[in-house]
Amino acid sequence: MRQGFLGAAAFAALLMPAADVLAQSSNITVWSWNVAASALKATLEDFNKQYPDIKVTVEDLGNDQVFDKTLAACAAGGDGLPDIVTVENFEAEIFWNRFPDCFANLKDLGYTEEIQAKFPEFKRTELEVGDAAYAMPWDSGPVAVFYRRDYYEKAGVDPASIKTWDDFIAAGKKISEANPGVVMAQADFNGDSEWFRMISNEQGCGYFSTDGQTITINQPACVATLEKVKEMKDAGTLTAAIWDEKIQSNTAGKVASQMYGGWYEGSIRANSPDLAGKWGVYLMPSLTADGPRAANLGGSSLAISANSENQEAAWTYINYALTTNEGQITMLKSFGLVPSLLSAEDDPFVAEPQPYWGGQKVWADILSTLPKIVPSRGTAFQSDADAIYQVVQTKYFAGGYPDAKAALDDAAQQIASATGLPVAD
Amino acid sequence: MKSKSRSLFLRKLALHGLLVPLAIVWMFPLWMMLVFSTMPDHGIFSPDIELLPSGNFLTNFRNLQADTDFVGAMFISIVVAVTYTVLSVFLTSMAGWALARYRFHGRSMVVAIILGTITLPYFVVVIPQFIMVAREFGLANTWVALIVPPLFNSLGVLFMRQSFSMMPGELFDAARVEGVREWQIFLRIAMPLARPTIAALSIILFLASWNNYLWPLLINSRPGMMTAPVALGTLIGLTKVSWGGIMAGAVLLTAPMLAVFVFLQRHFIAGISAGAIK
Amino acid sequence: MPNRNRIAYAFLAPYLLIFATFWLWPIINSFLISFQNTRVNPWQFSFASNWGRLFGDPAFYNALYNTLIILVIQVPVMIAIATVMAVMLNSPLLKARALFRFAFFAPVVVGEVAYAAVFRLMFNMDFGIINKMLNSIGLASVSWFADANAAMALLIIAVTWRWAGYNAIIILAGLQSIPEDVYEAATLDRVSKIRQFFYITLPLLKPIILFCVVLSVIGTMQLFTEPFLITNRGGPGGGTETLGLLLYRQGFTSLNFGYASAIAYAMTVLAVAISLLNLWLGRERQ
Repeated sequence: MRQGFLGAAAFAALLMPAADVLAQSSNITVWSWNVAASALKATLEDFNKQYPDIKVTVEDLGNDQVFDKTLAACAAGGDGLPDIVTVENFEAEIFWNRFPDCFANLKDLGYTEEIQAKFPEFKRTELEVGDAAYAMPWDSGPVAVFYRRDYYEKAGVDPASIKTWDDFIAAGKKISEANPGVVMAQADFNGDSEWFRMISNEQGCGYFSTDGQTITINQPACVATLEKVKEMKDAGTLTAAIWDEKIQSNTAGKVASQMYGGWYEGSIRANSPDLAGKWGVYLMPSLTADGPRAANLGGSSLAISANSENQEAAWTYINYALTTNEGQITMLKSFGLVPSLLSAEDDPFVAEPQPYWGGQKVWADILSTLPKIVPSRGTAFQSDADAIYQVVQTKYFAGGYPDAKAALDDAAQQIASATGLPVAD
Repeated sequence: MKSKSRSLFLRKLALHGLLVPLAIVWMFPLWMMLVFSTMPDHGIFSPDIELLPSGNFLTNFRNLQADTDFVGAMFISIVVAVTYTVLSVFLTSMAGWALARYRFHGRSMVVAIILGTITLPYFVVVIPQFIMVAREFGLANTWVALIVPPLFNSLGVLFMRQSFSMMPGELFDAARVEGVREWQIFLRIAMPLARPTIAALSIILFLASWNNYLWPLLINSRPGMMTAPVALGTLIGLTKVSWGGIMAGAVLLTAPMLAVFVFLQRHFIAGISAGAIK
Repeated sequence: MPNRNRIAYAFLAPYLLIFATFWLWPIINSFLISFQNTRVNPWQFSFASNWGRLFGDPAFYNALYNTLIILVIQVPVMIAIATVMAVMLNSPLLKARALFRFAFFAPVVVGEVAYAAVFRLMFNMDFGIINKMLNSIGLASVSWFADANAAMALLIIAVTWRWAGYNAIIILAGLQSIPEDVYEAATLDRVSKIRQFFYITLPLLKPIILFCVVLSVIGTMQLFTEPFLITNRGGPGGGTETLGLLLYRQGFTSLNFGYASAIAYAMTVLAVAISLLNLWLGRERQ
């Protein structure tokens, strides 16, 4: 079919903007989002000292749109993709699964076993299929609670004493009383499922089993998680706010804590520079006093488009930004992206006290949870499962199910009929 | 006589008493668009109620331009809307002329197919259209992809057909007797006569193209080839984005259309109400 | 009217080519795709993976329910407002007519993205002007984006604002086509203006209003940009997910073209049913 339309394609090429026709020069474009995009931009100065001929343009399109546009471009046979795309790990598999030809095999470009060994095994599983490696791990999202020291102090709450989610709820009541108009924490009940995903991951549960072959969303640990999230919502500990509303609340001082992956450090610091010294970090609470307190949310990788005419240059950039301490620490420093690169964790910067965070060694604290994280698998059906979960969650909050078990049983059934995967026993 | 003028006054009062608040409510979002576009971000996200514009429009516009190449996107939108309008007017006029003025085999079938499919939702074609244009023709991120597929619009055909069929046939027959060719009759006689209809149709088509969102969103994903609404939509939901800038973009998208509305109101209203008055 | 096949088709050809390529063929193709399992490479024929799934899929029923709720509430409210606008704009007693016309008709030219952005800001939970105003008169803030009912109300408000003027234009044109002398006898008989409206104007306007209803129903059924941009892709948790949004999500986020096509055909069936209903209602009139 394609050959038949070569004429049309050539015509199309004529109509492209001039910059694209001159693609022989080493101009490469990257699609990314929010702080991730800003972090990449931060690496460019040092990168260009070493490689002055490669001009990198980073475009911030927002998380949802990078995903949508990349899928659409792959469905269009790769037309319209930039040279490098940011791919969030848990959503990554749909790309390799559905469009194995859309991205370059990094092994052909110089991604040797030696370089692969610089990253933890579990970060690579979602990015590699058989003999092909489609993307290189970038950052991880070890979860932490970011909190306002001044609000906690005013209420006489010591964050070290918050070990369970029940402690968190109790602390929230005190904090809201002591600081009128301030809520304990916010969750995106509108368009995300981040609290459920973080706590269920902490408890060793997820939408799918680690091998990606069965649906596990209605397992007991997930049920307990959903119950706790609802409890926090009903207690007023968690109020609803979408991503940008959270940022606005941070800046306006209307919220005492936020829970996210470590990369949220950069979002707080970059958007609320006036609040330096007022924020701190502590480990996420657990369901039981001696329960696990580590989880992962987010974490991305970089992939190179198979259609890119500058694959070599793109590889040079990825190799610099992700496999050198220099590149990774620059991104950690400037925008809080937690490196996947094993050697970066021993960099002296990690052990330094951070002025913005009131002198706390936040990176040492956050990175200390990394070894305890249970990997969770996104699979190619992540977006289906997540959309179904969000609807079920809303209905459950509104009293549409007798209990959390019934809600997640329903979610599991729906995911099964959408994906064809079996529900685990 | 006195009581009559009094009841007239009361009726006027009631009419305006109802209409003025309704008009204020209706203007409010547009007014706020203007106000937001002139406010710095910390003003938009402040606890105070601000109802009057301040002087930050240019800064907001610069922020917008820093977030996305909005000027470039506006340029693409203008070129697309103008080209689309001209092409569409010609295509639909020619088709409407044929259907109005000639008897030919298959005429009723063509009319039946156009009429029969006119109310189908656009969503029914969007996926095959996307597969065809993007994958099979390989035309994603081109001007052609933005302009050509939406040309299927059949309301224009019916609109032009009606206009041509209301013209007196003797006029065209006289020209034929004098040996004027059909193409010339169409271009030199019929089209000028249809000018009011063409004006109304052009405005509706231009507006539709200018505001079109879903198709350009899907087919032109490359940042350098986005239309203005798509570029602006991309910013909604980003973190480090200037809302004042987004509002400045909204004003720039809206103002030209408001001008068109104010100055060409007659044609505009004719275009919208044409469907109803049979 | 001359009978000339060749000339007629020469005039028709460019349009027909576009029409067939970008409208007619996709309509057929969409139907064919809806019978394919598009989640495997290459696609395979499968009835169950799309049509079988559709009728048991809570997400489909949720989107259908949301769409119908918006239809049932929004369309009548909007048409009623549009009728009031049109009748009042038509009143000879009105001052500053041009100003009022501008106020009501201006939203018609505003693009969906532009007004979505404004509504998102106006209805922001903590900093939105609407909540600030509610607070200033002693009412509590409404969480417009986090509460499913409030989000639905917000969508209905937004769509009504955008399209009421459009319908008012059509209804106004209808009003102006009613000849004056119809009212003259009534005025002589001292029938009140209000009674005249209900017994003369409204019955004469019925076909026009019916036309507006059908137009609005078909438009609202395809609602996409508003829930996509204003309520954050159909949030909260699918609370404002419409059929159009579900189709987009299945087609372009889950990349399941087959299932999305089945949803598209379900929408088409609804549209056809509504059009037929209109035809039937129109017939009865005569």
